[in-house]
Order: sequence, then C-alpha cells, then structure tokens
Amino acid sequence: MEQPAEPQKKRRPRVGVFVCHCGINIAGVVKIPEVLERAGKMQDVVVTKDYKYCCSDPGQQMIRDSIKADGLDRVVVACCSPTLHETTFRDACAEAGLNPYLCEIANIREQCSWVTEDKDKATDKATEIIRTTKAKAENDVPLEAVTVPINKRALVVGAGIAGIQAALDIANAGYEVVLVEKEPSIGGHMAQLSETFPTLDCSQCILTPRTVETGRHPKIKLLTYSEIDNVSGYVGNFKVRIRQKARYVDFKTCTGCGACLEKCAGRTEARFERGLVRGKAIYRLLPQAVPNRPVIDAKACVYLTKGKCGICAKVCPTGAIRYDDADKFVEEEVGAIVLATGYELFDATRLASYGFGQVPDVVDGLAFERLLSASGPTSGEVKRPSDGRTPKKVVFVQCAGSRDSTTGMPYCSKICCMYTAKQAILYRHRVHDGQATICYIDVRTPGKGFEEFYKRATDDGIQYLRGKVSKIFRQGDKVMVWASDTLAGRKVELEADMVVLATAVVASPDGVALARKLKAQIDSHGFMTEAHPKLRPVETLTAGFFLAGCGQGPKDIPETVAQASAAAAKVLAMFGNTRLTHSPTTAQVDEEICVGCGYCERTCAYEAVKVDPALKKAVVNAALCEGCGACAVACPSGAMSHRNATKKAIFEMADSF
Amino acid sequence: MRKYVYYPGCTLYTKARNLDLCARRAAEKVGFELTEMPSWNCCGAIYNATSDDLAAQVGPVRNLAKASQLGEKLVTLCAACYNVLKRVQDRLDQPGNEVESERLKTFVDEKWGPADEPQGHTERSVKVLHYLEVLKNDVGWDRVKEKVTKPLAKLKVASYYGCLMVRPKEVLGFDDAENPQVMDDLMRVLGAEPTKFDFKAECCGGYLVVNRREVAKAASQKILDNARAWGAEAIVTTCPLCQYNLDKLRVLTDGSLPVFYFTQLLGVAVGLNQDELGLEHNAGDTAGFLRSKGLI
Repeated sequence: MEQPAEPQKKRRPRVGVFVCHCGINIAGVVKIPEVLERAGKMQDVVVTKDYKYCCSDPGQQMIRDSIKADGLDRVVVACCSPTLHETTFRDACAEAGLNPYLCEIANIREQCSWVTEDKDKATDKATEIIRTTKAKAENDVPLEAVTVPINKRALVVGAGIAGIQAALDIANAGYEVVLVEKEPSIGGHMAQLSETFPTLDCSQCILTPRTVETGRHPKIKLLTYSEIDNVSGYVGNFKVRIRQKARYVDFKTCTGCGACLEKCAGRTEARFERGLVRGKAIYRLLPQAVPNRPVIDAKACVYLTKGKCGICAKVCPTGAIRYDDADKFVEEEVGAIVLATGYELFDATRLASYGFGQVPDVVDGLAFERLLSASGPTSGEVKRPSDGRTPKKVVFVQCAGSRDSTTGMPYCSKICCMYTAKQAILYRHRVHDGQATICYIDVRTPGKGFEEFYKRATDDGIQYLRGKVSKIFRQGDKVMVWASDTLAGRKVELEADMVVLATAVVASPDGVALARKLKAQIDSHGFMTEAHPKLRPVETLTAGFFLAGCGQGPKDIPETVAQASAAAAKVLAMFGNTRLTHSPTTAQVDEEICVGCGYCERTCAYEAVKVDPALKKAVVNAALCEGCGACAVACPSGAMSHRNATKKAIFEMADSF
Repeated sequence: MRKYVYYPGCTLYTKARNLDLCARRAAEKVGFELTEMPSWNCCGAIYNATSDDLAAQVGPVRNLAKASQLGEKLVTLCAACYNVLKRVQDRLDQPGNEVESERLKTFVDEKWGPADEPQGHTERSVKVLHYLEVLKNDVGWDRVKEKVTKPLAKLKVASYYGCLMVRPKEVLGFDDAENPQVMDDLMRVLGAEPTKFDFKAECCGGYLVVNRREVAKAASQKILDNARAWGAEAIVTTCPLCQYNLDKLRVLTDGSLPVFYFTQLLGVAVGLNQDELGLEHNAGDTAGFLRSKGLI
C-alpha cells in the first residue's frame, strides 16, 4: 500500500509507459503483456499502453490522449532507436501540451529484440530498459529549444554534375551559392565521358549548357582550383576557409586565347586524358572549359622548377602570367553545405593479375571514354595506346575490383554493366568489323531503359561471357585474357588487341579527407553516410550538411542529378525558415563550481566549450554543442553537466536496475 | 647467432640437393644457424583437405611435435613441405578444432615443447617459417646486403613462386598471392634485376608430370615463354617440383633459360665455392652461364 504523501514533499511524477510492437520486430520476441504488467507495477507509473505501431497516427493519438486523460507529466515510449523516432514522439507530446524534453525513448528494438533470441531474456531486458529510462525521465526538467538565425547562403563542394545541379537549383531560387571545385574547371567526370547510356546522347552536349550557365550565374560565386581548408561554426552559421591554389595565371587579365598552350615546353601526365597522352605544364582540362583559363602545374613548369624558359609569359598577349603567384585563402560565411565530392576509379594496379599499368593496352573505363570521345586525344577514333593501331578485338572486363571482398570493395559499383555495354556498342559503331567480348559475373540492368539497352548490345553481336577473369598479360603484341565460361563450364583464353577494365567506383580520396576534416560520417568504404537510408537520403547526421552524387555511393547521371536537386530542395526548405532550432540537451556549466581548468575545452570535439579568460569559467555555445557529454565526464570538479542527463540521473538509472 | 630447427624434406636429399646444400652454407654466411631435426619423416607431400581422413595428418603432426621439442621456429625450403606443415599447424591451432587436434596429438603421442621439461609442462607449438621469411624478417635485407661479396651483375631474373608458396593466402600469409615480391626483393638485394613476370604464381603442371606429362610440359613452357618475353636471363624458384618441371621437362636449346634455386644465386652472391652450389644438378650448362656473366 502506498504511503500517504506528506504535504511538504514534492508531488511524485506521473509517468506513462507506451510499448510499441513495431509489427513483429519487437512483439515477435518481447512478451508485450508481461512487459506492460511489470511496468505497471513500477513506482510512479500511472498508465501503461501498447500499440502495434506507436509512430502511426492512432499510436501518437493514444499518447496524446493519455497525457491529457491521465494527467501525465513524464512519457516513456519503449520502441525503436531514438535516432529514428525521438522527434516523432516528442512532437506528439508537445501537441498534447507536455514539454517535449520530458519524453524519453526506451530502445527495446535495436538494443533488445533484434539482438536477443530468448524470449524470456528479451522480456526481462526490455523491462529493465524501460525501468532505467523511467528513472531518467523522472530526472528530466522542461527545456526550451535553442534557436539560431540562418545565413541564407550555401556552399557546394565539388562542381561535377551533382554540384552544378545543386548550385543551379539553389541559385535559381534566389539564394547565393559559393561553388568550390578543386580542378581548374568544372564538369567533373561527366566532362570526360563520350556518350551516355541508355540514350547515347553526347555527354558534352548535355553538360556544357549547364557549365556555361553555372559560370555566368549572377548568384553563383565560382571558386575553381580551390579546396576547403577548414569549416567552423554550426548549421545556419558556418565559416568556411577556402584555399585557392596558385594558378600562376591572372584570372582577370587572361582571355583564354590559348597562345601559351601552344608553346609550353614543360611536360606532365595529362590526368584528364587518363594518361593516354602527355600533357603540358600550362593546361586547361578541355577546350570547352568553364572557366576557360589555364593554370600552370608548378611541378612540371620548366621556369618554376629550373628558372629557365618563361615562354608562356613571352607569348601571352595580355601579360597574364604570374610566376610569383601563391596560394590564397578566402573566408566565406554560409548556412548550409552540400557535399558533392564525387568518385574516382579504383587504382587497378592493385589488381596484380590484371596487368594494368604494366601492359599499355590494358586501360580503365574512363580512359576508354576518352578514346571514344570526340574531344579526346584521338578525336573519337579508337586507337590502342601501345602502337596507335585500331584494335580489332576488345575484351571488356566487368567487376574489376567490385564485388570482391579481397579488394576491400564487396559492393557493386552500379554503373559498370551499363557503361560497358555502352562502350562496346560505341566501339562497334567506330570499328564495324571489331569484335567486342564482355566478361561479366552478372549483368544488372535495374534502370529505366537499361534492360532494353543491354538487349541492344547482345543483338549487335557483342559477345557476353559469364565468368570472372583470372589473368591478363601480354603475349607479343596481343593481350591475353584468361577467363572462364561458367555457362559452358570451361576455361577460356581470349586473344585481344586491347582490354578495358570496368574498375570499381570508389569515393574520391579528397572527398574522404574532407569528410574526416568536417567530421561528416563516412562508411567503411569512404562513402558519405546519409542520415537515414530511406527517409533522409540527402541529409547527414551533422545538421546543415547535405549529400549529392557519387560521394555518397556509386550512381549514374540521372540518379546523381535527382539527388542533387533533392539536396538543393533540402537547403531551400531550411532557407524558408527565419531561425533554426537546436536541441537544448546540451552541456551546462555551474559557474559556482567551475575553476576554468579547461579540461572540457580540450575534450570537446565540436569547439563548443571555451574557457573565458577573464572570468576563468567555461562557457558553452549551445548552438555548437552536440550534447555528447564528453566534457561532463572530463570535468574534475563536477561543474559541467549535461542537461537531462545529469550525474544524478545517470546514477539513479544505474540504481534502478 | 639465430638458431632454427631445420626440416629439409625428402627431395632435398635426392633430386633437390642443389636447393639444400647452398642454403645451409649461405645461412652461416648471413648469420643464422640451421639445425636439422633428427628422425624427421615425410611431410605428407600434399596437404590433405579431407576433414575426416586424419591418418593423412599424422605424418606432418609428428614432425611438428618433434620440432617443438627442439625450438620455437621450424624452417623449411621446399615449397611443398612449407605448405603442408604450415597448414597442418594452422589446422591444429584452429579454434573449434580442438577435438580433432586432441585425437591427432594423442595418436602421435609425442611430447610438445622442450624435450628436457616434463610432459604436460609446456604446450609449445612451433612456428613454421620459410627460409625466405627468415632472410626478410629475422635477418633483414640490410644485413643480407652487407654479406654480398659478389653482386649478381644486374642479371635479369624472373622470380617464380608457383602455387604452394603463396596459397591459400589466408593461412600462409606469405606474400601477395597474385603478385608476390619477396624473392624479387632478395634478387634486388643480391644485385640482380628482377624482371616483370606475369606467371609468378601460375601452375607449373605439378604432379601431372607423373601421369599427364604433356600437360605439365605445356604449362611449364608457358611460364618459360612469358619470362623470356619480359627479358629474363634466368629463373629462380624455391619449389623442387617447379624446378623439375621447368628445368627437366623441356628440350634444351640455345638460349634456354637456366632455372636456379634462389639459394644457388644467394650462394653465388655471398661467395660460396662453385662446388658448394650444386650446379651439376641443374639442366644445361648453368656453370657456363654463370661464368659468362663473370659470376664464378
């Protein structure tokens, strides 16, 4: 029997426990009636209810109704992870007039039903999770969300088709965009492509109007040959430091006439041409470059390395060459950041048995694009690198690195089945008596018009051979390919003039480095991680960062463009508000206790805590604080605590167990 | 001086004397000591992958037990011995394999661990190493280089590893299974020039030489042709079976590549006498070849 409450004592909290079945996700393992019964006996629990899907409208209504009917002042929802539905249930509580921060989530799905097989043990565990969460809820105090103003300018990192699309969409809605590209001109890998699958429209013809529009857009500030040096601040108010690499060509004076390109004596690898030809020290990626201004590769420039030559400066009609140029830094303030850092092809020299890098006529997919492209080094004629002859037999090798756990890339690169079919078709367009063989593991055609396109390739006489290639090597002037025909069950040796490897798509290493710098989440392969794989595909868990393009995972052009527009829409939705809210469950300082030792400042990963040198007290910037609690642990005096996860609350949670 | 238990295996006493002799002498030169384990028996010759035929594991298990009584590291030279012993050791140590392991140990009934300690006192297994691993990891390339008195005059050498040295890579972990490097590195240290070579770890024909001689011959020929195409003047190998197939199956013509054991070229470089190199066991005029390069 309950003791009669003493009049001077604080009123006991009134807790409601709501247990979600999550279909059979929870109810299939956890015995819900038992959990309800045990929860009902816990101190202060005045009501327990369950529902098949608490997150649905009837489920939320049940909670709202109960708050009013039962006079609840604490709500515990036992369901999935708080990363999924904490906001959902807190909003429901707020609608019913309860401060949302008095609602706590007991995760009995990811941390219980999904990882426990024994039903009795799962039921016990769910009960204890609810009990400890209830103890936390009872210690909660009402909080008000922190709001911050928004700087309605966006930064887009990477100006491939993803970055271009996102930048144009945001700019066309009337907001300023800073578009940063590490290469001297924009367009990314799409500018390297010949024609695009499955329609075979020319990549240049669909890309160049967009690059031109980007270059001329009054709302887009284009910073090419630039990299992100540092980002500080928080959603709505980022400060970005951008390093503009030394171009050695004055951007304003240069007219892009190209006189310097003719005479330059310095030689270097032409990255854009995938090593098929040697490039010059002063270069632009392509004649249709935006901006159409060359830069000098300092490592290859004869003048900059040896102090002699200087021919570009002599021939330049406008005197735009600046040998004394140096890296510059600019600061930009923005409210949102779109990360469109793109992809690279896996370095196929790591596939030791495929001869890449040793046999000149073994090239990767992008190199073959350059051979097919009208703006490429052979003007679109297919000529093999070793001797310039037209290859009569070309073997295409799919999954070169992809779908192979031994290379560390167990994933499917998604675009290779289609681009290989396209390359084989285009090769047969150029070389009518040419024979194309495609070695594949599976052909995957899950896009609009893809299966029909694959059919077109097989109807065109392109040979598909099912089996993985084991070895590629040179024999005389031929390239030998050892493969297997798993349908016929035999080993085959193919004699080819040229081999094209559909090498795996990997996240751009620069993008990975940037993600690390920005503390944006990446997966084990370096691809950036979306906030939710289905429901928040272009947001990240860091508020204010959005994703577009292959930096998030391999994808084709239409999908990239769609995702970029989605990221832009998210940015615009944010810019539609005047202020942003930020969770108030942050660190707080008890200034009476704090001695300004600075442990917290050194612990903070978000630069949210600073010791005020005059006051000798720690100060928390609530807008920056992510509420991780590290400072509260580090604090030797106990001055630092975490709102609604105080030391007292945590000890009571442990005690209740 | 570092001490190792040495397991030569049968071939090194017969057809592959040239692999064994200079290996022992060269070890002394570069600074480690091989003590041949007494009363060793057949390594098993080929790793038996059948899971219920334990009798096939008995031979290698006894060797491993005997070796553990003498020391912690067991060195082999023959690629087949290395492959079998290392895989059987791995199988004994495999978690979840305790029952099989115990049955084998009981059957073999040998003491595991130092001979002078009472039974059951120490359960010490032995680490199986290849001679090349000792050179690379324990001695170190720098020290090997110091001991080179006759650099190999930029001889263009294709390093042939065969299958047994490198696979399965999960167990042997010897080197990159597709593009192994350790013998190439050794050749570089000895003053030779390792060539590119596509067939480093392809099959030489193996035991098919017994019943399908023409298959083994064709397989070996491909390897030799590829080495020559990359400009090799000689091949080095570490496996007696590979050496046999590459060296003895072919019809020697002018310009045939000599096929050496790596220990023979190591011996040349560290200044062993000609009679310690066992050149008479190789096909063709290998001595003449080395003489023409000014190496002996």
